[in-house]
Amino acid sequence: MSYPYNEELMKKEKEILKWLEGTLSDKETEDLKQSEDFDTIEKIAHYATHIATPKVDAQQALAALKNRKLSKKEPKVRSLYYNNFFKVAAIFIVALTAAYFLFYNTTQSFTTGIAQTKSFYLPDHSQVLLNASSKITFSEKDWNKQRDLTLEGEAYFKVQKGKTFSVKTVDGIVKVLGTHFDVKQRSNYYEVSCFEGLVSVTYKNKTVKLPPGKTFRVINNQIEKTDDFIAQNPSWLQNESSFSRIPLNQVIAELERQYDIKVETKDIDTSKLFTGSFTHNNQKIALEAITIPLQLSYQIKGKTVIFYKYEVQ
Amino acid sequence: MSEKKNTLCEESYFSEFYIKNVQSATNFAYYKSGDADAALDLVQEAFAKIWENCSQIDFLKVKTYLFTTINNLFLNTIKHQKVVMAFAKETPYQDKTNQNPEYILEEEEFKIKLQNAIASLSEAQREVFLMNRIDGKKYREIADLLGITQKAVEKRMSAALKILKEQIENI
Repeated sequence: MSYPYNEELMKKEKEILKWLEGTLSDKETEDLKQSEDFDTIEKIAHYATHIATPKVDAQQALAALKNRKLSKKEPKVRSLYYNNFFKVAAIFIVALTAAYFLFYNTTQSFTTGIAQTKSFYLPDHSQVLLNASSKITFSEKDWNKQRDLTLEGEAYFKVQKGKTFSVKTVDGIVKVLGTHFDVKQRSNYYEVSCFEGLVSVTYKNKTVKLPPGKTFRVINNQIEKTDDFIAQNPSWLQNESSFSRIPLNQVIAELERQYDIKVETKDIDTSKLFTGSFTHNNQKIALEAITIPLQLSYQIKGKTVIFYKYEVQ
Repeated sequence: MSEKKNTLCEESYFSEFYIKNVQSATNFAYYKSGDADAALDLVQEAFAKIWENCSQIDFLKVKTYLFTTINNLFLNTIKHQKVVMAFAKETPYQDKTNQNPEYILEEEEFKIKLQNAIASLSEAQREVFLMNRIDGKKYREIADLLGITQKAVEKRMSAALKILKEQIENI
């Protein structure tokens, strides 16, 4: 007997929801009003609409906002915060000078440390955005003959149309003509995502062509199946790292690159897959974003963070 | 992709967007914090972020961006506390023609019960319930603004209603 009763109840619940939304027909509304104990619900619905909310004088509030003298971030450096920008720029100059004296040739390199990103242009005005703890090397002199560069770490490329452009990493080579794509090469991890145009990836003598929205990923020497994506930019340009079914140890490695911390795990299977994202701007929220979905807890000891299983008391 | 004109960076477009949404955004922040001043501060902060990052934000998603930013700012800055909201001074009774003092007293009692019951809702339930009731938003719209599914919104609505009803009938 309980089955039809439940069904009846669910139907009523649905009707109430529709009624609250104002999408229930007049006829159905009449029937609903006849039903038992609808009186309280009707009163709740009625009086709830009369809760006072703060009245905002929109024009005045807008004027107050404009008085703050906000500055738009320049599109060219949009992935960097201004205060970081000068730090990055200083390191940049030191690195450049050092490179010049060390090699005395035209080999250029760009490096980022933990929690840094960097944006720069190649001689042909192709743009490179370098994620944290990464390095790019290329020859400036030969650039017009050969658009080749070497990458350790992760970078997003916006390539000008022209001759073949190749990105070499220890795991594979990416060749393109003129597109937007992201390459991530980390320990036991290699990933190429295409955002525009067509990208060709060579991995262990095999070549794969990637159209926009596709990802090629190798974890621990295994080619992984990946889902299509619709983002127009890699999430790290918006100061966020996203993962779709990625082993926890890779997520932790990325976390260590974005925050100056060392993560230790206690009795945790770090090959567990994680789907989600974490921000680069707030360590606490980032830690929670990773631990809560996996039912883990964490403990901070100086620059060390320990992940452990959450025990239900 | 960056060729697309981003109109959000144009002051007139931004102002229009601001004027159109500042009230419902403030309401939303108020449902969370129960504090009118803090609500407007959160909202201003969120709009400032949008202006600063105008070139990065897809203007089809800017409303969602606004509401999620308010939510994040709220989580970062404000301590969770009991949220008690008052009624507008002139609240029309359900039966507008009934001037019977007994009826009026009953309704006033009901309002106090409802006020306490709303305070006992979870933040997630309260915001969804009041966005529908006060701002008259459809479930689809609420789902888009909060970045959750319509099903989730409906579940929160039903749960909120169930708790309110139980609280009111038991007290």
